[in-house]
Amino acid sequence: GTGGKEGKAWKRFQSYKGEIALPKEVESLRIYVDRKTQTVILPVYGFAVPFHINTIKNVSKNDEGDYTYLRINFQTPGQLAGKKEDTPFEDPDASFIRSMSYRSADGHRFDAIAKQITDLKKEINKREQQRKEMAD
Amino acid sequence: MTTQFDHIYHGLNPNVGKFRVAASGMAWRAEEMDTTVAISGPDIKWAQWLRVARNFQLRVGLKDRKRETFDGFMREDHDKVAGLMKQHFGITLETKDVTFKGWNWGVADVQGQDLAFLVSNKTAFELPLQQVANSNIAGRTEVSLEFAPSDQKPSKRAPDEMVEIRFYIPGTTTKGGRTSEDGSQ
Repeated sequence: GTGGKEGKAWKRFQSYKGEIALPKEVESLRIYVDRKTQTVILPVYGFAVPFHINTIKNVSKNDEGDYTYLRINFQTPGQLAGKKEDTPFEDPDASFIRSMSYRSADGHRFDAIAKQITDLKKEINKREQQRKEMAD
Repeated sequence: MTTQFDHIYHGLNPNVGKFRVAASGMAWRAEEMDTTVAISGPDIKWAQWLRVARNFQLRVGLKDRKRETFDGFMREDHDKVAGLMKQHFGITLETKDVTFKGWNWGVADVQGQDLAFLVSNKTAFELPLQQVANSNIAGRTEVSLEFAPSDQKPSKRAPDEMVEIRFYIPGTTTKGGRTSEDGSQ
């Protein structure tokens, strides 16, 4: 029960309203960062699965042999970090995706994707900070 | 009479091919390789239509609980495909709703051979449980699934390969004893 008097419990966001808006790049079955919709689209066994940047906590990357591994960490409850008001918990009984890891032999591409996601996250955080300062 | 669709994929195969439907059944043939998948009409039990990464998928259920998937259909192909399913096999092409909301919370549900993740009662994705190489329960609320890596040679042109997913499942904390301490399989 931390809804708050000002009604800022959870700000609704959505990546795409329907499939028609998915960018063409998802066909390659590779991770794609759609800056326009602030969304990262992950390939999952043939599906194109969007994740809004608000659901993403951070990314980490490491090289191992022939492959580069990219791990996307998501915002979930039960984590110590993060302010309560920023966490998108519409349904407290829901299950959450906490992380997803990928590998690719194209390390340069994963470098670029990690940077794009980190930059997008920074940009959103900065904008949110400005919004809060304006509100005060 | 045979109806042909070009630029269709079979399963997660990266090769495109031609897909044909006739009264006797359906078949897919890779364009640059000698690979063919043939399904005879009487074996076809159901058909579904859903949006995937490579446009639309025709998913066909077979009598021995197996299924085949064909990706690469266009949105406009729906009515034609639905008509062919009805005409040749007497089945209705059902539409499976897929969500693109971009949320990471929902319900994980075992559906047949898949673990489906549903957001607002719509499918966000499905994980084939056969591909799970290892699973673990950590701290009672976290479940991880590791996927068997492909045996393909490393290639920069290959699709990105998912190797692991972790779920946070808060519901498992309340009921003691239901969850095994070391969930390794």
